[in-house]
Amino acid sequence: MPPPSPRLKLCSVFRTYRINDQKLNALQDISLSAEAGTVTALLGRSGCGKSTLLNLAGAMDFPSSGEVLIEGRSTSSLNEADLTALRRTRIGFVFQFFQLLPTLTVLENVELPLLLSGAANAAQTARDRLQWVGLEDRATSLPHQLSGGQMQRVAVARALVQSPDILIADEPTGNLDTGSGDLVLNLISRSAREFGAAVLMATHSAEAASIAQVRVRMRDGRIEDIERSRN
Amino acid sequence: MRSLISLFRTLIVRPLKRDRLRTALTVASMALGVAVVIAIDLAGDAAVGSFQSSLTTIVGKTDLEIVANGGVDEQWVGRLAQLPLNAHFAPGLERQAEIQGSGFVTVYAADFVAEAAGNISSSAAGPADWEHAVVVSETVANRLHIQKDSAITVQGHAFRVLDIAPAKTEFVALDIAAAQRLFNDYKKLDRIDVFLTAHEDITRAERSIRAALPAGFEVNRPGTRSDENQRMLRAFRWNLRVLSYISLVVGAFLIYNTISVSVVRRRPEIGILRALGVSRFGVFWLFLAEALLIGIAGSALGIAVGRLMASGIVVLIAQTINSLYTSSRPSEIALTGESVAVAMTAGTLVAFLSAAGPARAAMRVAPTEAMGRGSRETAVRLQYRRNLILAAALAIAGFAASTLKPVDGKPIFGYAAALLAIGAGALAAPALVLGVVRSLRPLLRKAFGAEGLLAGRSLTASLGRTSVVVAALATAIAMMASVGIMVGSFRETVMVWLDTQLRADIYIRAAGPAGAGQYPALPPQTSCLIAAVKGVAAVDTFHGFEFRYQGQRAILGAGNMEIVKQYGGLRFLSGDSNTILSSLPNHDRAIVSEPFANKHDVRVGEQLALNLGERQVHVTVAGIYYEYSSERGYVVLDRSTLLKYLPGQPATNIAVYVEPGAESGAVQRRIQNATAGLPILVAPNQLLRREGVRIFDRTFAITYALEGVAIIVAMLGAANALLALVLDRRRELGLLRYLGAASLQLRRMILVEAALLGLLSNILGLVLGLALSFLLIFVINKQSFGWTIQFHPPYGLLAAALSLVWFVTVLAGIYPARVAARLNPIEVIHEE
Ligand SMILES: Nc1ncnc2c1ncn2[C@@H]1O[C@H](COP(=O)(O)OP(=O)(O)OP(=O)(O)O)[C@@H](O)[C@H]1O
Ligand SMILES: [Mg+2]
Repeated sequence: MPPPSPRLKLCSVFRTYRINDQKLNALQDISLSAEAGTVTALLGRSGCGKSTLLNLAGAMDFPSSGEVLIEGRSTSSLNEADLTALRRTRIGFVFQFFQLLPTLTVLENVELPLLLSGAANAAQTARDRLQWVGLEDRATSLPHQLSGGQMQRVAVARALVQSPDILIADEPTGNLDTGSGDLVLNLISRSAREFGAAVLMATHSAEAASIAQVRVRMRDGRIEDIERSRN
Repeated sequence: MRSLISLFRTLIVRPLKRDRLRTALTVASMALGVAVVIAIDLAGDAAVGSFQSSLTTIVGKTDLEIVANGGVDEQWVGRLAQLPLNAHFAPGLERQAEIQGSGFVTVYAADFVAEAAGNISSSAAGPADWEHAVVVSETVANRLHIQKDSAITVQGHAFRVLDIAPAKTEFVALDIAAAQRLFNDYKKLDRIDVFLTAHEDITRAERSIRAALPAGFEVNRPGTRSDENQRMLRAFRWNLRVLSYISLVVGAFLIYNTISVSVVRRRPEIGILRALGVSRFGVFWLFLAEALLIGIAGSALGIAVGRLMASGIVVLIAQTINSLYTSSRPSEIALTGESVAVAMTAGTLVAFLSAAGPARAAMRVAPTEAMGRGSRETAVRLQYRRNLILAAALAIAGFAASTLKPVDGKPIFGYAAALLAIGAGALAAPALVLGVVRSLRPLLRKAFGAEGLLAGRSLTASLGRTSVVVAALATAIAMMASVGIMVGSFRETVMVWLDTQLRADIYIRAAGPAGAGQYPALPPQTSCLIAAVKGVAAVDTFHGFEFRYQGQRAILGAGNMEIVKQYGGLRFLSGDSNTILSSLPNHDRAIVSEPFANKHDVRVGEQLALNLGERQVHVTVAGIYYEYSSERGYVVLDRSTLLKYLPGQPATNIAVYVEPGAESGAVQRRIQNATAGLPILVAPNQLLRREGVRIFDRTFAITYALEGVAIIVAMLGAANALLALVLDRRRELGLLRYLGAASLQLRRMILVEAALLGLLSNILGLVLGLALSFLLIFVINKQSFGWTIQFHPPYGLLAAALSLVWFVTVLAGIYPARVAARLNPIEVIHEE
C-alpha cells in the first residue's frame, strides 16, 4: 500500500502582518500536512495563529514566505480563476458563527456552492447532504427558525455539498452547547471517514480535539508539538 | 450636553468620515436639489428684471401715470395742465427703434422743451435743436463709443447726442415731437406722467385728475405696471418653482434613506447608549443632528452651485418671458440674503423632515436591544399591506383634490393631488417590490443562477430600504415622464393648431424685435401697397395692442372677419365658426381666446366691459377659440368695431392670402419690392411656423433641464443606496467568496440588483407618471394657463428616456459592484 499522499501540505510557512511599520509574525516556520480521511486539530491560546493558518490552508490567504501546496500545487502560483475553481471543488469551510445566509432557505443555503459553480443536479445533491446531517425535514425553513446546533449542521452540509478534499473548520463548536457540539463533531469525523476529506479544525475544546487523529499545539505562531493517535 | 457632543462626534461624525463616498453622494444630491431651487429663484427674479422705466434716471420719479387702452390723446397734457394742481404733466412714449449699425434699442420720448429747465443740462444747444437732439444712456454710449455731440442715426433720421445719462440700462431718449414724427404716431401717447410738487397731496391730486378724465382712462400709482407684470408672471414662475422643488423632493427620499441606514447600522450601539443612560431624546437629536449636518452642508454647497446655474438659465427664462408675456430686460443676478436664507431653510427643513422618521425609530430602540437588522426589516414586510391600503386612500384623496377649483388662480389642489399621488406611489412601493421580485424569482434564477437568486432575495430582505430607493427613483422618473407627456402633448397640440391657424401665405409686421405685447405700428400706406401687388388674393389687416382688462393685461385685436371666415382657420370650443365670425362685423361683438375666457371666467353670450380710448364699451362674447400663443389671451373684434371706437388705431400685422396658382415666393418678392424702404418685415408662412415651434421648444428647454437634474439626483441616490446595500452585506459577500463565488459573480449580483431596482422604479415611475401627466394636462396647466391640451404621449421619446434611466441605474451599480468584488473576505467574515 503506497503511503497516503497529503491532500494539503504547508512547507516552512511564514505569515507576517504589517501594522503601521510594525511587523507581526502571525505564523513562523510552519510545516504541516493533512491527509485524506484524517482529522487534524489545531490547538493553542487565542491569538496563536490558528485562524491565520486555516485561511492559508483554504487558499483564502497566502504565505509571506514558504509554500502552501494543495494537490501538489502551490496556492501562491495560482491565478484568480484557478483559486476560485479550487475553493469551489476542493475546499469546504465551517465557521464558528455558522454564517448561513439569512435570506435563503436551508436547502438553498446548502445548494449555494453548487449554484455558484453552476453544477448540475444541485437540488438533489443538496437534499442528499441535508439528509446526511439529518435535517431533510427542515429544507424550506429559514436559518433563523433553527437552533444554533441545527444551523451548524446545515453549515456542515453546505461545506460538504461539493464533496471537498479538504474541510476547514474554525472553532465549529465554539458557539454551541455540549450536546449540539457533539452532534456537529460527530458529523465532522464522519465526513473524514465517509467522504475521505482531510479535515483541519481549529478548536479550544478538549472534546473537539478528542476526535482528531493529529493534534497540533501552537504557540505564538509556531508549532509547539504534534501528537498523533490512532482512534 | 458636552457628552452628547462627544457622542455625536464618535457615533455620527466619525462614521460619516469613514463612509466618505456615501456621505459625499448624499451631500451632493442634497446640494443639487437646493441648487436648482435657488437657481430658478435667482434666475426668475433677474429675468423678470426691472420693469421700472429707465426714464426715471433722467426725468425723476413720477408720482402718477395716466394710461388708456389704445393710447392717450396728447391734447390731454394741455387740458390737465389747466387743473388747479401743483403738478406737472409730461407726455410718455416708449418704442423700439433701430440705431444704425447696432440693432434695436428702447426709445423714450420726453418733452425736452419742458424738461430743459430741469435735469437735462442745456449746454450749448439752442431751443431750435430739440427736434434733433437725443440723450443716450451710459451703456449705449459705451457700446457705440459715442460722446456728447456725436452724431447718431435713429430709425433712419440723424440726431445729435445732447447728453449722456448715467443709467445702467440701454436706452435713447428724444423729444416727443421728434418721436411722433419718427413713429408715424397720431397724436397718441402711451401715457401721461404726472409729477407733483413737494406740497401737493397725492390723494387729492389723484382724485381731481380722475374726475377730469373720461371713464375709459386709468390713473395709476407708479409701480402698478411692475406689480401687474409680477402678477402676470405669477403662474409661470409658480410652475417653474414647483418644478424646481422636484429635485429637493427626490433628495428628501435620499436623506431618509441615509439616516435609516445609519440608524439600522447603529442599532446595537444605540441599545448600549440607552443602557448607559442616554435619554430617548438624546438619541433622537443625535440622528436629527446627522441629517442637519448633511442638510446644512448640502444647502451651503447648493447655494454656490445654484448661483452658477442661475447665470446659465437666466437668458432662457428671460427669452420665455419676452416671447410669452412682456418685454423685460434681465437685470443682474443678485444673491440676496433673503434667497440664501430661503434656500438654507428649504434644504435644512427637508433634511430635518425626512430624517424625523428614522430618528424616531432610533429613539424607540430599547436599552436592552442589541439585535441585528433582520427583525426591523420583517416589520416593514408585515406593514406592506397596511401601506397598500394607505396608498389607495391617498390616491382617492388625490383624485378628489384634482376635481377642485383653483384658489386665486393657482392650481393649489392640483399640486396637492400631485403630492398625494407621489405619496401613494411611495406607499405602494413595498407591495410592488415584493410582488414583482417574487414573480420574477424563477426567471432570475434561470437567467442568472446563484447571482439571480441572491439578488432577488437581498432586495426583498431589505424591503424597507429597497422601497425607499424605488420610491425616490420612481418619483424622479414619474416627474420626467409626466412632464415629458405634458410637453409632448402640448407640442403636438400646438403643431396642429399652428397648421390650422396659420393659413395665410405671407405675414407682415413692423420691423423691430419680436416680443409678447409688442405691436409696433405699420406705416399707414403698407396695406394699400400690398393689396395692389399682383397675385395677392386677400389682405387681412390686424390691429393689435396690449390692453388692460380688469386689472390684468391682455391683447386686443381687430381683423377683417369676412376674410378670416373665408380664408382663416380659427377653431372654436363650441358653435359654428362661420356663424360666429359673420356676427362680428358692425356689431359690438367679440371673440376671445380660450386662456382669456378661462382667466376671466367668461362664457359665450356674456358681456365684456372694455375701456376703449375714452369710452367704456360693452361687447358680447360671440365665441371662444383655441389659441396657444399667448397665456394672457386675446379679445378680437371686427375692424369696423375697433375703428368706430378708436379711429386711427394703426394696423400692426398683415396676413396675405395668395391667389390660387400664384407662387407665394414670387408674390413675397413683389411685396418686398413694392414696400421697399418701409421699416417692415415680410415673412413666409413656414418661417412663422418654424418660429412658433422654436419658441415652444425654448420655453420648455428649462423644464427638461430641471428634469435632468432630478434624474441625476435620483441616480446619485441609487448609487448611494446600492453602496449601502453592499457595505451592509459585507459579511455575506465575504462568505460567498469562501463558498467559491468568483469576484465577477459578486459584481454581477450587484448589477442584477441595480437592474432590478431600475426595473421596479420604471414600473412604478411610469404608472405614477401617467397619473401625474393627467394632473398636469387637465388640472394644473388648465388652471394656470387656461389651455386645452390634447393627450398625445410621445411614445418613442418616453421609451427612450425610460431605457436611458434604466441603463444609467445599472451604471450607478458599477461602483458598488466593484466595492463588493474587492472586499477582503477574511476581514469581513470575522467582523461582528
Ligand atoms: N488582518 C490582520 N492584520 C493584523 N494582524 C492580524 C490580522 N489577522 C490576524 N492578526 C494577528 O495575527 C495573530 C493571529 O491571529 P489569529 O486570528 O490567527 O489567532 P487565532 O489563533 O485564530 O485566535 P482565536 O483563538 O482567538 O481565534 C493575532 O495576534 C492577530 O492579532
Ligand atoms: Mg481564530
